[in-house]
Amino acid sequence: MNSVYSSWSNIFIAHVKRDILTNSRSLIDMISIVGFMILIIILFPLGLGPIQEKLNIVSNAVIWVGLILAIMPSLEKLLQKDFENGWLDQIATSPIPLEIVMLSKGISYWLFILIPLIITSPIFAILLDMDLKNIPWLVISISAGSLAISLIGLSGSALILGARRGNILLPILIIPLMTPILIFGVGVNEAININESPYGNLFLLLALTLVYLVISPFISALLVRIAIGR
Amino acid sequence: MFDWLANPNRFKKITNKLEPSLLVISLLFIIFGLYFSLFDSPKDYQQGDAVRIMYVHVPSAWLASFLYLSLAVSSIFYLVWKHPLADLISSSIAPIGALFSILTLITGSLWGKPMWGTWWVWDARLTSMLILFFFYLGFILLHNAFERKVDGSKSASVLAIIGIINLPIIKFSVDWWHTLHQPSSILKFDGPSIDNQMLLPLTLMIIGFGLFSLYLIIVNVKTKLIEKKCEALILKLNLKELS
Repeated sequence: MNSVYSSWSNIFIAHVKRDILTNSRSLIDMISIVGFMILIIILFPLGLGPIQEKLNIVSNAVIWVGLILAIMPSLEKLLQKDFENGWLDQIATSPIPLEIVMLSKGISYWLFILIPLIITSPIFAILLDMDLKNIPWLVISISAGSLAISLIGLSGSALILGARRGNILLPILIIPLMTPILIFGVGVNEAININESPYGNLFLLLALTLVYLVISPFISALLVRIAIGR
Repeated sequence: MFDWLANPNRFKKITNKLEPSLLVISLLFIIFGLYFSLFDSPKDYQQGDAVRIMYVHVPSAWLASFLYLSLAVSSIFYLVWKHPLADLISSSIAPIGALFSILTLITGSLWGKPMWGTWWVWDARLTSMLILFFFYLGFILLHNAFERKVDGSKSASVLAIIGIINLPIIKFSVDWWHTLHQPSSILKFDGPSIDNQMLLPLTLMIIGFGLFSLYLIIVNVKTKLIEKKCEALILKLNLKELS
């Protein structure tokens, strides 16, 4: 039993390493996503007018919405390349459990794409004139919620494997699934603003993240098997 | 029973008999329901005549949720037993459910303008109904997004099953959160809190809408069966020409 668990964790670590290595060979994805995020943030002061009070009110929501929108272009590529060059076929026919590989895909995507966004989020918060006491909670809530977002994104990108115009389809399919994350994530800072405890929303957010952590690898593996069976 | 019905020919035989009577009965229900709801039911003491919108709004909201449930169930049937008829049924349910959810939103906002003073509020029930519409839309789009139809059917079925988490949110949103939307007044533990004179047209409309959508689904499935047969015939003809 013990050896099985240790080999599964080895598989997991090996795949996370592989994904991070292959991604880090071209940093263009990461840089362009952070750039896209900055541009979304810039559009809001331009659209609303540079009035500090207005920006302060919307800052929390804008950062969350920006996060969800910014990762959309990259989600399509998450499994597409591995699907097209046959790597996923190889994995699916090998004795390695596909669910573990999917979990490692989700985690490595989170580490590689979303961690930079989390690290830079205090800068966005300052750009949008958020109160200083809210910024730590923003970082905490985004770090919890973004894992769920990347896991939903993983399932979404498995959903459109081999579809025509999947990149246009993907946001319509997965943004409805991300709405609970957004609601509870924004709720953390809303609670701070009205001097209430943020833990209620934060724990619900963490609970959702854990649920997705459990079900997303299975759904994604099922969808990849369907896609390969074609 | 499902195995027995799952034979396309038997399905056709049964539905051929059912179809005309279903249409007549559902239209009768809708006509009587409309008569009662528009002319022969009391005005609400607060809402006046605007309460009559409810007789369309509530049935379509119920059907939008119920059809999504049946969509998910037939998707499960398709994914587990891989029967093509289940896929035909779910792909025929989807557009009808999408229409009902749109109808719910439109009638709701028509009612909301005189009552709440606004066309739209972002409360939990309205938003979750809007999201239900997007699940229907996603199902339809994904179903048609693949070169080979089977691929789209499978992926869309998975999406339909994932989306089922939205249904309890719609049902209980008015109880969980204090929203602007009215709490439910029919399906309650201590009996409906609605007057019998209003309950009668509402029940008639719900049954009428339900039977009518069943009729539409049957027509849809039959059309798709014929379509499939035509495709098969064309393939056969092409093969003959080749050989």
